[in-house]
Amino acid sequence: MRESTIMKIHYGTALAAVALVAVHILMRLTQGFAESLEYESVLANYKFIPYAIMLELILILLSVHGFNGLRVILLELKQGRLYEKAVSYGCLAAMIALIAYGSRTIIMTNMGMV
Amino acid sequence: MPQDENKEGIGGMINPRRYGIERVAYLLMRLSGLGLLAYFIGHIYETSTILRGQVGWNEFLELTQTTEGHAILAIVIAMCVFHTVNGIRVMLGHGGVGVGKPARPDYPYDPASQNYRHKIGIYSAIVLAAVAMMYGLAVMFGE
Repeated sequence: MRESTIMKIHYGTALAAVALVAVHILMRLTQGFAESLEYESVLANYKFIPYAIMLELILILLSVHGFNGLRVILLELKQGRLYEKAVSYGCLAAMIALIAYGSRTIIMTNMGMV
Repeated sequence: MPQDENKEGIGGMINPRRYGIERVAYLLMRLSGLGLLAYFIGHIYETSTILRGQVGWNEFLELTQTTEGHAILAIVIAMCVFHTVNGIRVMLGHGGVGVGKPARPDYPYDPASQNYRHKIGIYSAIVLAAVAMMYGLAVMFGE
């Protein structure tokens, strides 16, 4: 993929994540910080499907943005054909792994498999 | 000169002393990005403890609901706000907003893009990050 396209994705994921993370944080503040972290409260959040979808979107957006950012930093440090391929595929693999791990939590909790 | 002699590596990348506040913003942007990625990975692991039931969740929550945990979260809030505000500034700059008009380069060759608008943006990001961190501390410590 062209770097210009990757940077557009980087900026797009950033803007979308800012909006959704703001909602995520505001949800913590509507109840009071400590109460919102109680087990029943968190479980209820996961079981509310629109909120679970939002969490999944945040997970994907931040994973894509975060690991692409890491890739950019690592490519600024050092260049080379093999190094660049290793960094790009390594970040992609880490991104997929994190999305899979986070999705597992969201799906299992939403479906009541706790 | 061999290519390697011209490389400062990570030392050159993290040196904030040259090129003014823009260089400091560049360094803070990367540091905050790495910090936020580390926090995000930790947060995904932390929230996965809900799958261990109420006992597992409460046990892990006890580890994070400490003075040190709150201090770390306050730093995360500051990093998040700085990264967001400075990121918007960078995006606007890349889109050509606030970088000035093209002109003939005359002595002393001040870069048109490094102007007061972007400097204000950087200082605003730092101030907003500090304010958000203080607010976060007040919420977490219940003041």
